[in-house]
Amino acid sequence: MPEGQQGDTGRSGRNRRGGTAVVFGEMDRSDVTRSLTRVALIAGVYAATTLAFFPLSYGAIQVRVSEALAVLPFLTPLAIPGLFVGCLLANILGGLGFNDIVFGSLATFAAAYVTSRMRTPALAPLPPVIINALVVPAYLSSVVRVPYFPLVISIAIGEAIACYALGYPLLLYLSRHQGFRHYFGGP
Amino acid sequence: MMRQAVIGQFIPGNSFLHRLDPRTKITALTLYVIILFFAVGWGYAAMAGLALLGVVAGRLPLRYILEGLRPLVFLLIITMAFQVFLTPGTVIWHLGILKVTREGLVQGLYMALRLLLLVMTTSLLTLTTSPIALTDGLESMMRPFARLGVPAHEFAMMMTIALRFIPTLIEEADKIMKAQMARGAEFSSGGLTARARSLLPILVPLFVGAFRRADELALAMEARCYRGGEGRTRMRQLKVHAVDFVALAVTVGVAALVWRLRRGV
Repeated sequence: MPEGQQGDTGRSGRNRRGGTAVVFGEMDRSDVTRSLTRVALIAGVYAATTLAFFPLSYGAIQVRVSEALAVLPFLTPLAIPGLFVGCLLANILGGLGFNDIVFGSLATFAAAYVTSRMRTPALAPLPPVIINALVVPAYLSSVVRVPYFPLVISIAIGEAIACYALGYPLLLYLSRHQGFRHYFGGP
Repeated sequence: MMRQAVIGQFIPGNSFLHRLDPRTKITALTLYVIILFFAVGWGYAAMAGLALLGVVAGRLPLRYILEGLRPLVFLLIITMAFQVFLTPGTVIWHLGILKVTREGLVQGLYMALRLLLLVMTTSLLTLTTSPIALTDGLESMMRPFARLGVPAHEFAMMMTIALRFIPTLIEEADKIMKAQMARGAEFSSGGLTARARSLLPILVPLFVGAFRRADELALAMEARCYRGGEGRTRMRQLKVHAVDFVALAVTVGVAALVWRLRRGV
């Protein structure tokens, strides 16, 4: 089977800026297929948990449960495109319109990339909290001109609960568990 | 806690909107959303007119459209309140320190309308386009960028696989939840933090299952000689018809009108 027939395969050594180029770099075909299905299933889990669980909400503070998965890029780079596609699908299937689809997913993508570069597990949940809290109110308030800062606070609290109360224990559990090493140690 | 999961909002049909190429709909929606931010005064009427035309052309029951707007209610109320009370201008009514200004009222209505139109037109796309058609459209639109390293085919393939597994994974989450409840797990008590944490015993098995499925699927795809996008043929080909040009022309026409109205003000 010929190598490097994909647009991104082989080029990624030079192009290490994130996304699928990084993920699929320098693998043979069967590993590419397996990475592809894993990315797709991470996306599926994100979208499914977004749609299945009501956002836990206490008034103004809403917790999107699936945001706990935002810690995953710390364990595997496959989660970077996985979260992006998952968030894109979740926002297409039940979001707040076009801006949410485009900018919400890009924010998730950026956060996932930064998380993958974090050094310690305790810092892994921080990028999604900060990036979403800054970006989401920016595009929301560009549509409806609500004040920016109260939204920042409310989204930051919601994200922090999802990422630290659920995401962080998830991260610790998955990184210690023997069975998962098999999946996250690379294909 | 499990919602009656409505996956996708797609309503099959054979209306004008349904028959449009997904690429046409994506392009038209993008143009619509951009131009919406430039609308002023009567421009909003033109934009609302186009959205309503879309509802008619999609032969969609109004109930579905309204259903899609429900999550917006809270945001709409907040928006209206901020605009109505906090915009300086001619006071037309006041209660204590709260003043309603005419400018605020007008501004609030415009903002609410903008938000409504944004969500409404997006649901016009998702209601009349099957997720698979949407993915095909996106892949085809990204293909020119493949040379720059954009993984168009992989991206579309991931979306398609994820879409196919969403219902399966929701069902699995439901099963795991019931299994954990049978073992005495508690999901709906305690504060926000405790409730979020209680979901850990669901996420972990869900993940193991998802990864196992991913590896099995990869094996199955390889057994059928899947080897990426190069030279792959498809059962359904995307084709641009005359109706697509009509739809695009109408959208561009309204966009030009809105732009003119803005210049005129």
